[in-house]
Amino acid sequence: MTFSLLHATDFADRLLYKIIPPLKAGMIVLADRYAYTAFARDATRGVDRQWVRELYSFAVRPDLALYFRVPIDMSVDRLMARRVKLKFYEAGMDLGWSSNPVESFRLFQGKVLDEYDRLVDEFGLEVVSAVGSITEQQRVVRALVSQQLQINHVEIPDEQPA
Amino acid sequence: MNNQPDAPQSTDAGASGDIQAGRYYGRGIPYLPIAGYPGKLIAIEGTDGVGRSTQIQLLREWLEVKGYGVVETGWTRSPLMQPTIELAKSSNTLNKLTFVLLYATDFADRMEKEIIPALKAGFVVLSDRYIFTALARAGVRGVDRLWLRNLYGFGIAPHLVFYLNVDVKTLIARVLAARGMDFWESGMDLKVGDDIYDSFRAYQSKLLKEYASMADEFHFRVVDARRSIDKIQDELRKQVAAFLEPEATLKSEG
Ligand SMILES: Nc1ncnc2c1ncn2[C@@H]1O[C@H](COP(=O)(O)OP(=O)(O)OP(=O)(O)O)[C@@H](O)[C@H]1O
Ligand SMILES: [Mg+2]
Repeated sequence: MTFSLLHATDFADRLLYKIIPPLKAGMIVLADRYAYTAFARDATRGVDRQWVRELYSFAVRPDLALYFRVPIDMSVDRLMARRVKLKFYEAGMDLGWSSNPVESFRLFQGKVLDEYDRLVDEFGLEVVSAVGSITEQQRVVRALVSQQLQINHVEIPDEQPA
Repeated sequence: MNNQPDAPQSTDAGASGDIQAGRYYGRGIPYLPIAGYPGKLIAIEGTDGVGRSTQIQLLREWLEVKGYGVVETGWTRSPLMQPTIELAKSSNTLNKLTFVLLYATDFADRMEKEIIPALKAGFVVLSDRYIFTALARAGVRGVDRLWLRNLYGFGIAPHLVFYLNVDVKTLIARVLAARGMDFWESGMDLKVGDDIYDSFRAYQSKLLKEYASMADEFHFRVVDARRSIDKIQDELRKQVAAFLEPEATLKSEG
């Protein structure tokens, strides 16, 4: 609960100082993570789903929300490949589900992914498969963004006439 | 989500509705079930400088002599948040929404780490201020009341809420005699008065109205705090005794 509110406080600060002013100025704001991260993470940590949604009702609804979906095994593999040290909270170690950080991460993030799946329908998130290459993903992203912005002449390399 | 960051809105009642003492106001903390905990939660509410700490000190001594284990908790006393809140106050850069959330974070931390464990262990928890101060301060600053009640839906409804009621005139005299007026207690951020005296008067009047508007909703036991320290304490002790030891109280009166 404390964790959840701490993140909400930080989010409010970011929203009011970094997101709303550029929006008012007519700019495009790209947010790396948004309220949906909190919905997924907090529900996994046992916080009431409805409560978190109402908590964040002060947030601006994004014009487009992209969800990069990846199977849990691939997520674990990618982390291992980068040899990053798993963060205590990111691995949900505080929940005591497993004393092994990798196993704990798999259990915790697996549940987080389940929560994201609920959000896709509830909030109309656009799912981008994050299984493919960065180029493939970027192609999908650009298509979605240009559709949203009503841009018709985007340069997508292999769709251009030779 | 909507497009008005300053006036969040919500459709679902949180901390209002049916209130049961010792239970969560709203959706609660699902991973911390509290039903059946033996402790008792007593909140002493009232505006800045009205005399809460004085009363709690006396109440605590009296309860301890009677053999109760007493735990005190107070606003912005969470070890986690206090430095942050003090910093934010001194730098004066925080938006009201961020402020509200910081206070709620502090309260959540004390709920999880102090209040709930103490109730579980059977203590009498005396709370110097409770969620009502937060609701009142945010309310006068225009934050959506329904949203606030949902926010504090993780709070536990106290067994007793004493509201130390005072009028602005008495309050001003008391605060000036004790320690003078402070920037935040005067609502100087709201620019409601030209100098600190006018501001204090205007702001505290609004706050008192806001508290009063919550009295029925949250079952306040309103105590006339214009009286002497001893008179107030007598009334508090009578009511606490009647609650904690209903049989003994009946016998001694009958
Ligand atoms: N009933 C009373 N009559 C007159 N003076 C009082 C009364 N109660 C408290 N005081 C005096 O008012 C001052 C403030 O009291 P106290 O510190 O208990 O208030 P408080 O509500 O805890 O204040 P704060 O909001 O700053 O925590 C003290 O000097 C105290 O002696
Ligand atoms: Mg005090």
